Amino acid sequence: MAMVKFLALNQKPSGIDLERAFKRLKRSVWVFHLNTGSCNGCDIEVLDVLTPYFDVERFGIKLVVSPRHADVALLTGPITIKAFPKVVRALQAIPRPRLVLAIGSCAVGGGIWFDSYSTIGGLHRVIDILKDMGIEIDRVAYVPGCPARPEAIIYGVAVLLDLLKPKVKYRRVKA
Amino acid sequence: MIRVKFVKIVGTSLKKGTVTIKYPYEKPLITSEFRGKIEVDPAKCTGCGACTRICPPKALYLVKEGDNLVIRYFIGRCIFCAMCADICPQKAISVSHEFELATDDIASLYEDIEHDLVKCACGKAFAPKKLVNEVIEKTKLPPHLLTLCPECRRVETVKRLSFRLLGVKW
Amino acid sequence: MERLELSKVLESIARGKRSRDILLKMSKVLGRKMRNVKKVGSTSIFVEIDRDTLPKVALLVLYNEPDVYFRTMVASDERRVEGVYKLYYVFGIDSEGTNIVLEVALPQDEPVAPTIVDIVKAIDWYEMEAHDLMGIVFRDRDLPRFVLPDDWPQDLYPLRKDVSIDSIRKNYSPKAIEHARAIEAEQIVKIPIGPYHPALHEPEYFELYVRGEKVIDSRYVGFLVHRGIEKLAENMKYNQVPFLAERICGICGFVHSTSYCQAVEDALSIDVPERAHFIRSIVLEIERIHSHLLWIGVALHLLGYDTGFMHIWRVREKIMIIAELLTGSRKTYGINIVGGVRKDINKDKIEKVVKTLNEVEQEYQHLIETAMGVPQVKKRLSGTGILPRAEARALSVVGPVARGSGLARDVRKDYPYAAYHFVSFKVPVYSEGDNLARTLVRVEEVMESINIVKQLLDTLPQGPISVDRWDVEPFKRGIGAVEAPRGEVIHMVITGRYGPYRWRARAPTYQNLPAVPIMLRGVDLADAAITIASIDPCFSCTDRAIVLDLAKGSIRTIPISYITQKGLPR
Repeated sequence: MAMVKFLALNQKPSGIDLERAFKRLKRSVWVFHLNTGSCNGCDIEVLDVLTPYFDVERFGIKLVVSPRHADVALLTGPITIKAFPKVVRALQAIPRPRLVLAIGSCAVGGGIWFDSYSTIGGLHRVIDILKDMGIEIDRVAYVPGCPARPEAIIYGVAVLLDLLKPKVKYRRVKA
Repeated sequence: MIRVKFVKIVGTSLKKGTVTIKYPYEKPLITSEFRGKIEVDPAKCTGCGACTRICPPKALYLVKEGDNLVIRYFIGRCIFCAMCADICPQKAISVSHEFELATDDIASLYEDIEHDLVKCACGKAFAPKKLVNEVIEKTKLPPHLLTLCPECRRVETVKRLSFRLLGVKW
Repeated sequence: MERLELSKVLESIARGKRSRDILLKMSKVLGRKMRNVKKVGSTSIFVEIDRDTLPKVALLVLYNEPDVYFRTMVASDERRVEGVYKLYYVFGIDSEGTNIVLEVALPQDEPVAPTIVDIVKAIDWYEMEAHDLMGIVFRDRDLPRFVLPDDWPQDLYPLRKDVSIDSIRKNYSPKAIEHARAIEAEQIVKIPIGPYHPALHEPEYFELYVRGEKVIDSRYVGFLVHRGIEKLAENMKYNQVPFLAERICGICGFVHSTSYCQAVEDALSIDVPERAHFIRSIVLEIERIHSHLLWIGVALHLLGYDTGFMHIWRVREKIMIIAELLTGSRKTYGINIVGGVRKDINKDKIEKVVKTLNEVEQEYQHLIETAMGVPQVKKRLSGTGILPRAEARALSVVGPVARGSGLARDVRKDYPYAAYHFVSFKVPVYSEGDNLARTLVRVEEVMESINIVKQLLDTLPQGPISVDRWDVEPFKRGIGAVEAPRGEVIHMVITGRYGPYRWRARAPTYQNLPAVPIMLRGVDLADAAITIASIDPCFSCTDRAIVLDLAKGSIRTIPISYITQKGLPR
């Protein structure tokens, strides 16, 4: 009996706990900006979202300096091989539930340099690698755009937090 | 005595008021020229692949699936430059104002257009049916040569020429 | 007899008095070793010299001339063409608008060249990059790992023609992921928080060595944004590369695509229609306005005046809207192609743009007056981060950094391009060399840019917006230079069959970053952030190669283990 209890305590957080924590996150998330080697186009649009015309602070979203305080990592850039260790470090520091918003065509699919020798090619290529290292990402959302408009970023945050259902769907038509 | 001139900013703020556009409850700040997602008209597309050759990030690319040729559009890598719309000879690609493309499933960012391929007498499927029909319509070249794959076409052309010019039958 | 004929040839090639004098001086020094002087494109004179005469030429003839500045250096693998590696050293005669390019050929089995870093201080990073990416060895100097990661395999040089991107990926990428934690994990924790530039959120950082509250020296660790752009372009077609170039930097991208197009047009002698020149200049100036407003907002934020930041970015939003109206996208405009532009301007748009610019001008002037009246802004900017004129000249810095230290350098005036022949404008120059000088240069440039755009819109000529067709000739060389908001951008292109054979894009921050350690000496730690920001660093422009800079500091509060781990000489 004691053995069973001990094993239960040492288990990783169960799915049920995560759901509860996620529900609490529905409103004001704190975001951490993670630049993995982008051209800065999407980064200045992220800063632009804070300025008066778009004013994301009306939703309570705040930009924080340390990943330890953050709920969401705003990832821009195609993840260059030199920046990859920093990405690992920063994502590890974010406490569970860990959410990542991949902003821009570089973060989603590697962008115009997806086949270069010094880029890994976007978030979807590293998710499995991070899982092997023990870094689980609980929810991901992808925001295409080059650079992604501030309105698209707000829409992306809403999709990430499950406030809106995504509009795009896979389509296959015959010519 | 410090000159407190900078307090003027309060006046500026009050005069300006609020400029925030409360997206998503209000309409976003888009001009008529904005380039959003492209729409490919499957009726007009002939599968020539010109768009796949000019696309800088290769977001439009060709995939051969058995006897079908698929033109795949990966929205995730698109840079919204609209070069494909400029270069399409059939004007099948149009640019929309759509930017609300966020999703949590990356597989939903793909759009496919399937083309049937013409099969040569030798069995090789070499070009989309619509493209071959287009070439037959627009050029004066004989249809019986155009429905052959390039290798067979070469052989057939030499055969016919050598018969016509030299009287040699292969 | 021979000397007389040579001087006649040089006179016919020279573009003016200054270039003639310099070419004659070179011929006196080099004698018979000066071979093959020829005019290339519309602004350049290429001179072939032996590699052993390089230091002599660099010192005696070019570097001592007061109006000659070092612009860029390109290493090119031409083994398929002539069986040699080539180094092109581009020097510019500012007063005349001519480039003198020294062409040095290195045999393919012995790519060794003498270093000229003691003579031309500014060439330091270029030599290290040429070694890292192309494998050129420079005698008598240290060549640490610069652009590529530390564990990159030896003898794998990405820019060589016999190395394909696929082969590099096979040889390297898995190791990076395995070593990820081992290499960098420990070090990140020890880096102090200060130098991580809070406002720009770039992945690079500066290490500051402090004694008490004052900064003694600094080190830049970066080049994490290396994406292999120059290698990618060699597999692309001519009209795809402007989109690649535009994404070198998201803030000043249009200057890179314009500069690339100008280099190709220079190499192939393409006659671009005037209307295209005007449209390019209009969009370039609008980009300058938006970039300077961005910088002013960020600077105010760093000085603690957040209200100013929000107001300036509110004004900047109007510029983004008219940029979208003119080009189709808020940033990364995508309207440049070789031979012209893709999008036209009509009268309706012109009216809207002029109306917006008038509003912006009024609000901007009012805001700047108010911001300068805030006590912390002016006090903290003046007297800090001084770059003396002599150092600025030695490092050949560009842009507002040069103009803030008394050097009147501006590509729009010295090497005019596009439609800048047709407008009149002032170039603000301040001589104090401190942060305030650089700030005022940018503040005034915004007003000048608004003026230029209004002049251009007024006199926009009719006509086509791009050439109908142009023909490709392989292995032609061209140089294109543009004044970006941060300084001079210069690209060199060697044409190939379907795309560029070799493309070198040099951004202004690459030239300016070596000046930062000088500016940071003796600065209070609190002012370090604004000093670094005052060169308006655009790390993504610089980081098309990877950089590791060296500091010469002696007293440090940072564990020495970090520095020795990297294996860099001290």
